[in-house]
Amino acid sequence: MSLVDESFELKELQVLEGHADRVWSVAWKPATGFDGVPAVLASCSGDKTVRVWEQSPSSGSFQCKAVLEETHTRTVRSCAWSPSGKLLATASFDATTAVWEHVGDDYECVSTLEGHENEVKSISWNASGSLLATCGRDKSVWIWEVLPGNEFECVSVLQGHTQDVKMVQWHPNMDILFSCSYDNTIKVWAEDGDDDWHCVQTLAEANNGHTSTVWALSFNATGDKMATCSDDLTLKIWGSDLLTIQSGNGSAPWKHICTLSGYHDRTIFSVHWSREGIIASGAADDAIRLFAEDGDGLVDEPKYHLLLKKDKAHDMDVNSVQWSSAGNRLLASASDDGTIKIWELISLAGDQKPPL
Amino acid sequence: MAASSEPNSREDIFDSSLNLEETHLKEGYNEGYADGLVSGEEEGRQVGLKTGFEVGEELGFYRGCIDVWNSAIRVDSNCFSSRVVRSIKQMEELLNKYPISNPEDESVSDVMDSLRLKFRAICAILNVKLEYNGYPKSSDGGNIQF
Repeated sequence: MSLVDESFELKELQVLEGHADRVWSVAWKPATGFDGVPAVLASCSGDKTVRVWEQSPSSGSFQCKAVLEETHTRTVRSCAWSPSGKLLATASFDATTAVWEHVGDDYECVSTLEGHENEVKSISWNASGSLLATCGRDKSVWIWEVLPGNEFECVSVLQGHTQDVKMVQWHPNMDILFSCSYDNTIKVWAEDGDDDWHCVQTLAEANNGHTSTVWALSFNATGDKMATCSDDLTLKIWGSDLLTIQSGNGSAPWKHICTLSGYHDRTIFSVHWSREGIIASGAADDAIRLFAEDGDGLVDEPKYHLLLKKDKAHDMDVNSVQWSSAGNRLLASASDDGTIKIWELISLAGDQKPPL
Repeated sequence: MAASSEPNSREDIFDSSLNLEETHLKEGYNEGYADGLVSGEEEGRQVGLKTGFEVGEELGFYRGCIDVWNSAIRVDSNCFSSRVVRSIKQMEELLNKYPISNPEDESVSDVMDSLRLKFRAICAILNVKLEYNGYPKSSDGGNIQF
């Protein structure tokens, strides 16, 4: 499907209100939003709660189905569903990570992971749901193994970043962990047999890397490309040889492919790559931008162009943007203004110009 | 400029006045060096005592924890998961590796960092909060190591 020739519009479907403070992050529940299964979205906030929203099959609008409260004692910074959708992990400034299970009509906290010295910033489940990674202001990255009975055992504590670690993200196919930090670098962590995790690569300024805090990273559907966003106002695309990654023989080094600069004039807090190949970014200028790969770029030197810019997507900083994986072109965004917005990417017919 | 009573010491007078600055510089340097040597040694002794105590206390704490854990394993070999047992063994190896008699060994900070990480990981699995006064936190701006 060519995204080059079409014009698009990002249509605002709904504004989800309810949180009493800034919304930091949103996460779509896997395996929902298609085949008759209503789409489900989790959001977490500075109001110390997590909300679960479900789309009504009849009206299509999202309603708040559950409020997960009275567990975290400070801001909930990040939330992530396990690949099966059975568990929801939430990371908080109270230095704990809570794991919730859907029990009947409600969500029950089945486990609390402690260990970080202070604010936990991000969590990520690996593709098989057997490992969970967390990171935080104490500069460390923790890897936990998921054991039967909702037990979690710490596998490794990884030190390497010299500053606050903003986000961790597992590779979509392999058990390789990526982290990005206030120290301007992205680190790649791999296991060398028996719980022996260590940093196999650091993408720093010298490798064409970012020159300021790296806030987020996101992989494309095939896992051979990664997008990172930063306080340095750029988005960077990195690539690795897919075959080498999958063969598991030694490490497959990541290389800088291109830098998208000049599109943002304020910090970019979030980046997410859709299964179709559209990169969404959320920034401190309250706008959402979408990028796609040029049709005429070279295989080794792909180029990206701005698909559209949604000015004033929110009234304040956009903290998180997330595409639904259900193939319905829905995008959720979370903001300092306390709301979540649901958008739909609509392709406009032929020569119709998108409204400004 | 005082004149000397000896006629053949004229050159000496000029020499000494020309070298006045250099002489005083040298004197001052020697004085400072001597004072510095004394106070530096004293300060070094203080620092060494303090650091030695802190390192010793931390290592001793880990030794104590490991000994208790090993005793528990001896009583009931199934009390901990295999991962914990392995981690405790690794921590013990690190502890034994610490160059306690040679503080100038370059690996001291690496071994100590590894020890702290292992300890934190084990505490997390065992779900225990083990700390003592002065327990170093990586989030602190300060560093107990000099």
